[in-house]
This record gives sequence, structure tokens and C-alpha cells, in this order.
Amino acid sequence: MDLPALAECLISPSCIVTQTTSGLIIGLLLFMVAAGVSLIFGVLKVVNFAHGSFYMLGAYFAYTAYQVTGSYTAAVLAGGIGVAIFGLLFERLLIARVYGSPVLMQILVCYGVILILDDVVKLVWGADFLSFGMPETFQALPFLFAGGVIPVFYLFLIIVTLIIAALLGLLITRTRYGKIVRAAAVNPTMVSALGINTGVVYASVFVLGGLLAGLAGGLAAPVRSLTAGMGLSVVIESFIVTVIGGMGSVAGALVGSLLIGLVRSFGSIGFPLFTEGLMFLMMVIVLVLKPSGLFGKEGR
Amino acid sequence: MGGRSSLARDCLIAIVAFLVLAALPYFFPSRGFSDFIVRLAAFGIFATSLNILVGYSGMESFGHGLYFGLGCYTFALIMQRFGVPIPVAFLLTIAVSVVVALAVGAICVNLSEIYFAFLTLAFQMLLHSLIIAWTPITGGDTGLTGGIPRPAFLGIRLDDYYHLYLFSAGLLVVCLLAMHHIVQSPFGYTLRMIRDNASRAPFLGVSVFRLRLMSYVIAGAFGAVGGIIMSLFVSGAFPDFAYWTISGEAIFMIMLGGITVFLGPIVGTAIFLLLNDVVTKLTHHYGIFLGAVILLFALGFRKGVLDFIADRWRDRRQSALTAESRTGTGSAGQEAKSAAAGE
Amino acid sequence: MTNRNRPGVGRRTVLKGAGAAAATAVAGFPFVSRAENKPIKIGMVTVQSGRVAMIGSSSSQGALMQIEKFNAAGGLGGRKIELIARDSKGKPDEAARLAREFVNSEGCDIIFDADTSAAGFAIQEVARELGVLTMHMTPETSSLTADPKLKAPTAFRAARQGIHDCIACADYAAKVSKAKKLKRWMGCSPDYAYGRDLNKLFFEYLKKFNPEVEVVGESWPKLFQPDYTEHLTKILQAKPHALFSALWGGDLTAFIDQGSIYNLFAQMEVFAVNTADYAIVTAVKNLPKGIHSSTRYLASYPKTEANAKWAAAYLARFKEHPLNWSWENDAGTQFVIEAMKKTNGVDSKKLAEAIAGMTIESPFGVNGKLTMRAEDHTLINYDNGWGQTISKEPFLPDVQPADWNMIFEHEKEWKKKNNYL
Repeated sequence: MDLPALAECLISPSCIVTQTTSGLIIGLLLFMVAAGVSLIFGVLKVVNFAHGSFYMLGAYFAYTAYQVTGSYTAAVLAGGIGVAIFGLLFERLLIARVYGSPVLMQILVCYGVILILDDVVKLVWGADFLSFGMPETFQALPFLFAGGVIPVFYLFLIIVTLIIAALLGLLITRTRYGKIVRAAAVNPTMVSALGINTGVVYASVFVLGGLLAGLAGGLAAPVRSLTAGMGLSVVIESFIVTVIGGMGSVAGALVGSLLIGLVRSFGSIGFPLFTEGLMFLMMVIVLVLKPSGLFGKEGR
Repeated sequence: MGGRSSLARDCLIAIVAFLVLAALPYFFPSRGFSDFIVRLAAFGIFATSLNILVGYSGMESFGHGLYFGLGCYTFALIMQRFGVPIPVAFLLTIAVSVVVALAVGAICVNLSEIYFAFLTLAFQMLLHSLIIAWTPITGGDTGLTGGIPRPAFLGIRLDDYYHLYLFSAGLLVVCLLAMHHIVQSPFGYTLRMIRDNASRAPFLGVSVFRLRLMSYVIAGAFGAVGGIIMSLFVSGAFPDFAYWTISGEAIFMIMLGGITVFLGPIVGTAIFLLLNDVVTKLTHHYGIFLGAVILLFALGFRKGVLDFIADRWRDRRQSALTAESRTGTGSAGQEAKSAAAGE
Repeated sequence: MTNRNRPGVGRRTVLKGAGAAAATAVAGFPFVSRAENKPIKIGMVTVQSGRVAMIGSSSSQGALMQIEKFNAAGGLGGRKIELIARDSKGKPDEAARLAREFVNSEGCDIIFDADTSAAGFAIQEVARELGVLTMHMTPETSSLTADPKLKAPTAFRAARQGIHDCIACADYAAKVSKAKKLKRWMGCSPDYAYGRDLNKLFFEYLKKFNPEVEVVGESWPKLFQPDYTEHLTKILQAKPHALFSALWGGDLTAFIDQGSIYNLFAQMEVFAVNTADYAIVTAVKNLPKGIHSSTRYLASYPKTEANAKWAAAYLARFKEHPLNWSWENDAGTQFVIEAMKKTNGVDSKKLAEAIAGMTIESPFGVNGKLTMRAEDHTLINYDNGWGQTISKEPFLPDVQPADWNMIFEHEKEWKKKNNYL
């Protein structure tokens, strides 16, 4: 524990700028993955433990696209669209068969898929870890703001992910599709009675979740090392976020992610050895005090 | 239903099973085989204890590995640091697990399905983080090295491999017997009632919270026994034993073997261990094979081996009875006739 | 109905056939014990899946470099070595199980350990229990061989050791810190046994060799943590003159990539022990200039023909560059093979006696020779040097070799301090 260092940081503008930006970046990238988990759970009541593997696939698809085209935009889109398609297949072929099954069955299916994908990735891309490489556009010196440091690439990521978060929010709250999805979360029978194909709705939620996770994988790829099993750490954190923010709430996922991001970034100064434990502790506290999470709906 | 005669019958089966297990090494002298039985004992007790929660109480715990890891580390640490007799360390470990289970259970057991699963997982990962961080006590990520002292007790010398084998086999039989007795008792049937309809139970004067907590504590205690056997087997403890994968594997084992039949988890454990050993021998691509088998069971069969057999047997019995009552033969037929005759 | 003139197999033919079969059986039927053709089985416990799957491929390939040479030359009186490599999936208890299975059920005479450090300790227990010749090829944790309580008479380590690396590193770093006036230092290493050991030992010796050095902070990312942002910003806040890191593999690549966008490498001297390894230098697209690193493995160091030839042969055979684990496995296998030749057999006890104290000719040793120290069964006099990176071959152009006499002197002191002697 190093509380003096934490106090020192909180009164120093440069530290606040740097740590807040780093908290934002950690949180926003996490949000892209957690939002998918939260949506899938909210609408489908499915715990998609394999979401980390979606993220991993996004990064690998992006890597290959980048190798082939040299374009970062193409790479990110390849990641997003590739995993969106995979999400569709995953839902139709595997998850559709365990709707209504006990939670443990769903977890088992995801565990099986994680095992298979980790090996497939090893077979296709090799056992060595891969490095994407920073696209030239972002190879500039970091911005300095009030003495704090903000890398150009992170500024770009923050802007892009905020735009995506806003678009997602609009999609869920302002469009007809969003209305249908929210309705299906509450009363699927009614939705289907109104003549809407709930199967299509369910599949689309997985496509959306896959798209988000794939985009996240592609966007983060330049600053990650790609390896089989890279989805694991992401999925554990996104579950913590979803629990804290509230299952099914995209707004909750955003708040939860940012909270985790800031806790990680300021926490590493104040509690350098227990940062991870801190996150689990937060999860335990929320589950005990308000099990449905900060923004979640009561009762399940 | 549970009763004195079936307890006696179970004890007899247990004794025979133990004698068979004790004799097996003479027919299969390979160490690999005995190692398999010891591992089967450790994981089998653990998996069966999980099924008390999942199959009998309807409590889908995703963090049961907490007790396996806790049992393993507690026992190893007590033996390494305090050099007490093994039975003392054994009882102390169970006591510690019971206390932890009471605390964790009190917080968790009334939560609904998904939240219960997550919170149990969170507690397990908290223990794991603690084990990794508290290096001076737990050895951190390397685990507890240096071996475990094994002073003799009651003439049993656990540093002799055959004694260890017998000890594990004996514990397996005794624990299965005890757990079976528990789930077949009125307590066990009340748990099943709560599992099937938790809202009705309080109207019958049953405290759902108290019973679920008792079930959780019992499961935790037996889970720790599995950890103790593992600790003796590896002469120490590894953080893996508290990682979420051990819970995932246990879930797979009970799903493989069957959750509606008492011996399902043990069968599932045996299949899983065999699968693990064979696949590792044959290929580097363990993940693809194991993942495929998991999917086959979770999506295809959707029930464990013994569940499958039990269902078939029940169906056949049912159709035999129906056939009898239709044709008027057999005991069912006689009954049907008398019923028709209006007795 | 009987028929005297049956076509087909008559009694004489059967007898003739039986006679021929018996003759073949005696002459060449494989199960008749002909020890010359029975392969010598070596079981390798390694990691072939997940995040460190590279350990598995580079290790078995390194071992095969020696094994294929040996088999091509006829093996041990006609007996060829068969290497069986299996995946412990990074679980120490599984590693121990595999080692036991190799010996108890598969008739392996020798165990190779190319697994993580935790598994190394687990396998050491097996080696002690079963008395099988065990060569640890990859664990770098010093206590495995330094601690006499853990010693097993038939176990050896053919890998570099944390204590040696730290002493050499601190010696080099002290010189650089004096020359460039690097007084404020920080450490950022993965939070597990290896990272903690290296960090602790490095700073201990650095302060000893240059008392003006001050450690202003430490950051401990988790092993395999994907995002180092909070650690990077903490380091940047503290503004040290120099940074020490024991990060390796994918973690180091991610750290370098992420640190670059913060322009970290221009703001301080970075001593990242594990950088000069083909896995890193070929993966990182924009390797910053001037990272101080030890020579994990490079074809250009030592600058000998033997080393260059070996690297070229490895590349040609396996279509990828050798890694640190590759040379370690090659060396370890060579010790075992030489011992087999010397004792003309595979008896574990005899092999162990032969290997203890043995010196072999190897491209990886100082002056072409590697020695397995008798007193603690560990490798010494392996080539080890320090320099600064450039982004293309030879990656580390000016290497300052480590001074082994100095290393031995300090190592002895360290052992005394820890009551290992």
C-alpha cells in the first residue's frame, strides 16, 4: 500500500491528466467487450463466457488483414465483421441449443469453444506470439497536456470508442430495432406474438456482441501481443464490469468499465500489489449490496 | 427411502468396494494405474461434493474449487509448519473449510442462479489471488515445495506408496458412503424439495436459507477432503488447485457422468481423467479434442452417462409395466385387474 | 465328405511353412529381445498450448538438433533415441504426472523438463522419488539447484540461472550507470517468482556495485497482463533515469509497443533483460534503439563460426529462428548423449555420475566449452553478454561478455548468505 504516493498524485495536475486518460483508455476498451457480454445476458439470459475468444479472433483477423492490406481501417473492419459472422454461427449452431438450459450447461459450451478456438488459433497462426505494429499515422510523439502525457493513438482510441458507445446507445434507445431488443429482454413471448421473429432478434444480438468484441480486438491490436489464450484476462474483467454495472445495461457496462479503468490506474499507484484483488473485492461488494448491479433491474 | 437396512446394505457395498480396490494393484501392478485411482479419489470426492449442490440442491456453484484449493493448501501448510499428526491436520483442515463455507455460504446461498454462480466464482478467485500474492506463506505461483512430512499414525505410513493408495481408496469409499447417506436421508429429500420448488418449502415450515447453508457447508467440507488427498499425492500444493479451471473441470465431470444418479460424478471423473490421459498421449492438440467432447456432451447427449442409462432403464421399466397392465400378466397386470374389478 | 485329392494346403506345405516361420522368428521377429534395436526413450515434459506454447516447440527442436545428429551417426550401438514430448498445459501437477507416466508406464529411461519453473520443482520431486536421470532445460529459478534441500542425485539443470544473470547484469548496469550518471532507477517486472527474484537480486547487486543508485519505485504487472498502461504512466510520473525489467515473451513485446507510444524509451535508459531473443526482435515491428539487453540467444553472439553454423542449421531444419530455450535444450541433450556414450548405457545412476562435472564442446560456452558443475548440478560458463539493441541483425552489435570469475565470487557469497553452502 502506498497511500502517500496516491495523495501526491491526486493533487498534481499532470498526474491526474495522465492517470485519468489511462483510466479512460483501459475502461473504454474494456467497455467494448463488456457491452457485448451485458447485452447478450440482458436479452438472451446467456452467460457468454466465450466472449474473450471473440475478442481474440477479432485481433487475429485484424492482424491477417493488416498483413495483407497494410490498412489499419481495413484491419479493424475485418476484425469486427469477421467476428460478427462468427457470432452468428456460434449462436445459431451452438447457443440456440442451450437456451433455457441450466447456467452450467451454457458455461460448459463456452468452455468447450474456448478450448477449441485456442488450439485453432495456434494451428492457423502458429504458437509464437505476434505483434501488430503501430500504424504509421500514429507514430507521433504523445501530446502533453498540463504536464500529463497522452499518446496520440490512445486519443484516437478514446474518440473512436466514445463514438461507438454513443452509436450503440442510440441504437438501443432510439431505433425500432433497439425497442424490439429491449422488449425481447423483458417479454419475448409478447414480442413473438406481435409477429416479430424472436430467433432473428436473438441472433442479431450475438452478431452485435460479436461485432463489438471484434472491433475491440482490432482496435487494440497495435498495443497488444497476440497469443492463444489472450481472451482470458479480458473475459474475467468484462464479467466483473457486467456484474458491477448491471447485467443487461449498456449504460451500466460503460460506468462499470470506466470505474474499473480508474480503479486500475489510480489503484496501481496506491495499491500496487493488490490491484486485481481490488477488482474482485468490488465485485463481491456489489453482489452483496445490490446483486443486480449499479444500473441493473431488480430481481431475476 | 433412507433407512437402517439400506445403510447396512450400503456399508456392505462399501466394504466390498474397498476390498476390490485394495486388491487391484496386485492385478494391475503398473504405478500409472494406482496413480489413476488416487487421482480418481481426490477428484471423485470433489465432484460428488459439487453434485450435492448442483444435482441435489439446485445450487449451481461455479466456485466450488475454493474448497479443493483451501483443503489442499491448509493441510499442506499445517503439516509443513506444525508437524502435528495427520489425523489432527485432517480434522483442522475440515474445520477451517467449514468456517469458510459458513461465511461464504451465508452471503451467497440465497442469491439466484447466475449471481450465486458468479459470487462463488469471485470468492474462489479471491482465494487464488491471495495464494499468489502471499508468497512467504503459500510459496506464491510456484506453490508449496519441499514435500510434506508424513508421520505414521495408527500403523499407517503415508510415505509408503501402497499405504497412500489404500488411504485414498478408503477415503473415497467412506466419503461416498457418507454423502450417499446424507442425500438419501430426510435432509437430502428436503433439499430436493427446495431444489424443485423453493417457494413452496417455507409453507411447509422449512427454512430454505438454513438448509441451503447446511448443504453448502457439507459440500465444502467434502470438497476439502478431495484437496487433502491431492496434497498428499503431489506432496505440496499448487495455485492451479484454486484456479477457476478446477471448478470448470468438476462441472464437466458431473455433467459427463450424470447429475441425477449418485454415482454419476464418480463415473464422470473416471471418464474425464481417462480422456485427459489418453488425449495427452496421442496429440498436441488437446484443446480441440477435449473441447469437441465437451460440446458433444453439452449439445448432443445433454445428459451424463449414468443419467442416460438411468433414463433408459426407467423407460424400459415403465413400458414393461404398461405392457403388463394391459395384458393382465405379471404383478402390474394383477394389480390392474383387481383395480378394474373394483377392489 | 472326404476328398483325398484336395487342392490347397497339404500337410507337407504346412510343415514347410511352419519351419520357415520358426526360422524367421528366431532370425528377425521384432519381439524377440534384440536390445540393439530397442529405442532409447526420452520423455520430455513441456508446454505445447496456451500463451507459452513456444517453449514446447523451441525446446523439442533444440533437443532434436542433437538427437538427430546422434541417431544419424548410428546411435548407441544401433540403439536410436526416441523423443516423446507431451503437453503439461502449464499445470505443475500434470507435469509431475506425465513424468511419472513416462517412467512407470512407457519405459522412458530419461526425463527432459522443458516446462515452467513451477513444474520444474514438481518434476524435481519425481526425479528424487524415482531416481531417474532428469535434465531441466528451461527453469531459471536459482533455488532449484542452489538449495541443497531440493537436491536430487540424478537431476541436473542445463539452463541459465537467475543469480548468474543478475550478477552479470548488475555489473554491466553499474558501469553504464556510472558513465551516464543514472542515479534514479525503477523496476517493472512480472509479479511471480522469476520476476520477483530477478528484480530483487538485480537491485541488490546494482546498489552494491554502484552505491549511488537509488530505487525510486517498483511496478508489478501480473504475468500475461495485456494492458500495461497504469504501470507505464506510473513510471513516467516518477521520471527515473533508468528502468529495469524482467518481462519476457509476449509481455515484453506488448510492453515495448505500449511504451513506445508514450515515448518512454526516449525518456530513460531501459534495461530489459530478455529483449535480445529472436522471438522479440523479429516480432516487434518498431524496436526502439538502445534497449540494454542480455544475449538470450543470438546467432551473432558468440561471434564464432560454430554458433553461426548451428543457428543456420536450426533455421534450415525448422524454418524458424532458435530461441533461448533452443540452445538450452541442445546443450542439455548433448550432456546426456555424451554420458550415454561414456557409460555405454542408459543407467540413470551411472549417467548422473558421468554428467556431474562434465565439460563438453559447445558453441554456447565460453571458449567453446560448457561445464555442468558437480557440486550443485547446474550449468556454468555459458556465453552471456550485454549490449544495446538496434532494430536489425545483428540486433546487439557490441556485446560486453560477462566475467565468470566475478560471477562465481558473488555467487558463492550469495549462497553463504542464504545458507545454501
